[in-house]
Amino acid sequence: MKNGRDFMIVTNNPLVEKVLSKYYEVRYLPEENYRAILITVRDLVYAGHKLYTHPLSGSVKPNETPYKSVVVSKVPHKMNADEAAIISNCVEAYDKFTPRNRMLSDKVLGDFQLIDYTLLCGAVDYDAAAGLSKLDNQI
Amino acid sequence: MKLELGFIEIKDIQFSNESKVENGTLFVNADDVKAFVYEDDDVKACVKSVCFDIAKPGESVRITPVKDVIEPRVKVEGPGGEFPGVIAKVDTVGSGKTHVLRGMAVVTAGPIVGFQEGIIDMTGPGAEYTPFSKLLNLVMVCTQVEGVHQHEYEHAVRIAGLRAATFIGELGRNVTPDETKEFETLGIREGLEKYPNLPRVGYVHMLQSQGLLHDTYVYGVDAKRTLTTIIYPTETMDGAIISGNCVSACDKNTTYHHQNNPVVADLFEQHGKTLNYVCNIITNENVYLADKQRSSDWSAKLCRLLDLDGVIVSQEGFGNPDTDLIMNTKKIEQVGVKTTIITDEYAGQDGKSQSLADADPLADAVVTGGNANMVIELPKLDKVIGTLDYVDKIAGGHAGSLRPDGSIEAELQVITGATNEMGFNCLSAR
Repeated sequence: MKNGRDFMIVTNNPLVEKVLSKYYEVRYLPEENYRAILITVRDLVYAGHKLYTHPLSGSVKPNETPYKSVVVSKVPHKMNADEAAIISNCVEAYDKFTPRNRMLSDKVLGDFQLIDYTLLCGAVDYDAAAGLSKLDNQI
Repeated sequence: MKLELGFIEIKDIQFSNESKVENGTLFVNADDVKAFVYEDDDVKACVKSVCFDIAKPGESVRITPVKDVIEPRVKVEGPGGEFPGVIAKVDTVGSGKTHVLRGMAVVTAGPIVGFQEGIIDMTGPGAEYTPFSKLLNLVMVCTQVEGVHQHEYEHAVRIAGLRAATFIGELGRNVTPDETKEFETLGIREGLEKYPNLPRVGYVHMLQSQGLLHDTYVYGVDAKRTLTTIIYPTETMDGAIISGNCVSACDKNTTYHHQNNPVVADLFEQHGKTLNYVCNIITNENVYLADKQRSSDWSAKLCRLLDLDGVIVSQEGFGNPDTDLIMNTKKIEQVGVKTTIITDEYAGQDGKSQSLADADPLADAVVTGGNANMVIELPKLDKVIGTLDYVDKIAGGHAGSLRPDGSIEAELQVITGATNEMGFNCLSAR
């Protein structure tokens, strides 16, 4: 059973903020890039927040997509060394990839937002398709 | 469970008025295939058009972007049909007789998202890196109905590809195979009695299961939703496991890989000789950490319960799945079962960085599928099936990847199957 009440989604993805902020606590940091999001998560984990999802979700590489969402606990519990190792390994893994300087169209950015959003939904058991339909109906 | 595969060697493909297999040539009426593909309601609603082309080994042809590669097969005797739970009804497959149109594949192509992956070059340096350059490829390029959501479209293209492969496979039903081969998995007690002195070996097969474009289906069930479980190896030969993964071309397992799993093939080769190939254990690669904990605990538990002496572990993907890989390996070793991992590497363009996103001293036996960060140059080819519009944006590409002269500079990641983590490729370390 997924403990949704304890979730805080750390993200720079506007689609996640639009759809999920009604149902979960979302810390939306649009000015932070992918690496900065990992660092924010790392600092929260070091402070004792539980890491609920793996930060390197998805096969789209860190230097290709600008968007990243990670779920941690809303409040600190107890610092967990294994989780700290996971997030610090992720930062190291990120740094292995050469930065890509590409201008991405709105369509491609939208697609990257979508992938990040669906991977997050899969992790927290939220119906991704239903969330998008609700968004469509609001417009 | 015993399955006989009958291999019908396909040496040529031609478009024709009549669809049939005759003397090693597949004659195909593209309109017939199209009509069969469009009998599905989801395909009708989401796929605006499909058009067919043929790509042969050695031709100056580039296929991009690639969604899936599927081998046409047909069940001729025994329960069930190919792709159970998806195309055929959900009966247990893996027994009886199945015909295989060997030497060819159905390739689905066309963009699903703006950064869609995959290049198959049929000649030149790129061809060396993909197994699919050696096949006769019937390519089905799909386009999307406007306004349809990506996840609906991905599903529809997946179904369209499997239906096309089913139609083609059916043409082999009444053809006498050129070669037959039998594969049998014994029950636990029978296996112990027959091979009391052979080491008991299993295959822990990790399935990509993270979300849209990152999914695998077992009898039509999304692998995210499964607990680690056991499957007969021959079930995979009848399409029990199919791919919904189309991100990161180099290390994805296409449906063709699942049907022709090289670990399964090699273990069967040794079965009864140097080892007792007991079964496959399938497990997933979810993003939620507690799911990873549960799945890897379960893998270790099954290895112990089955009294295995050793397992081969293969994964699919990068980053997040590396953690599952290490969790599985560590826990299986801790219950006294030896492991060997097959994986690819993201060791940086100079090859000097740690290859996986995770590591453990117990994971000390590894076979590499190659370094996906390696930079390669692909020359311009004469013909493109699909579109080059996405090359700059595909995994492994960068701004300027596609040069004005039509050549491509990108990481090895772009090539479909290049560093496959079942070992279905030609890269390794010596």
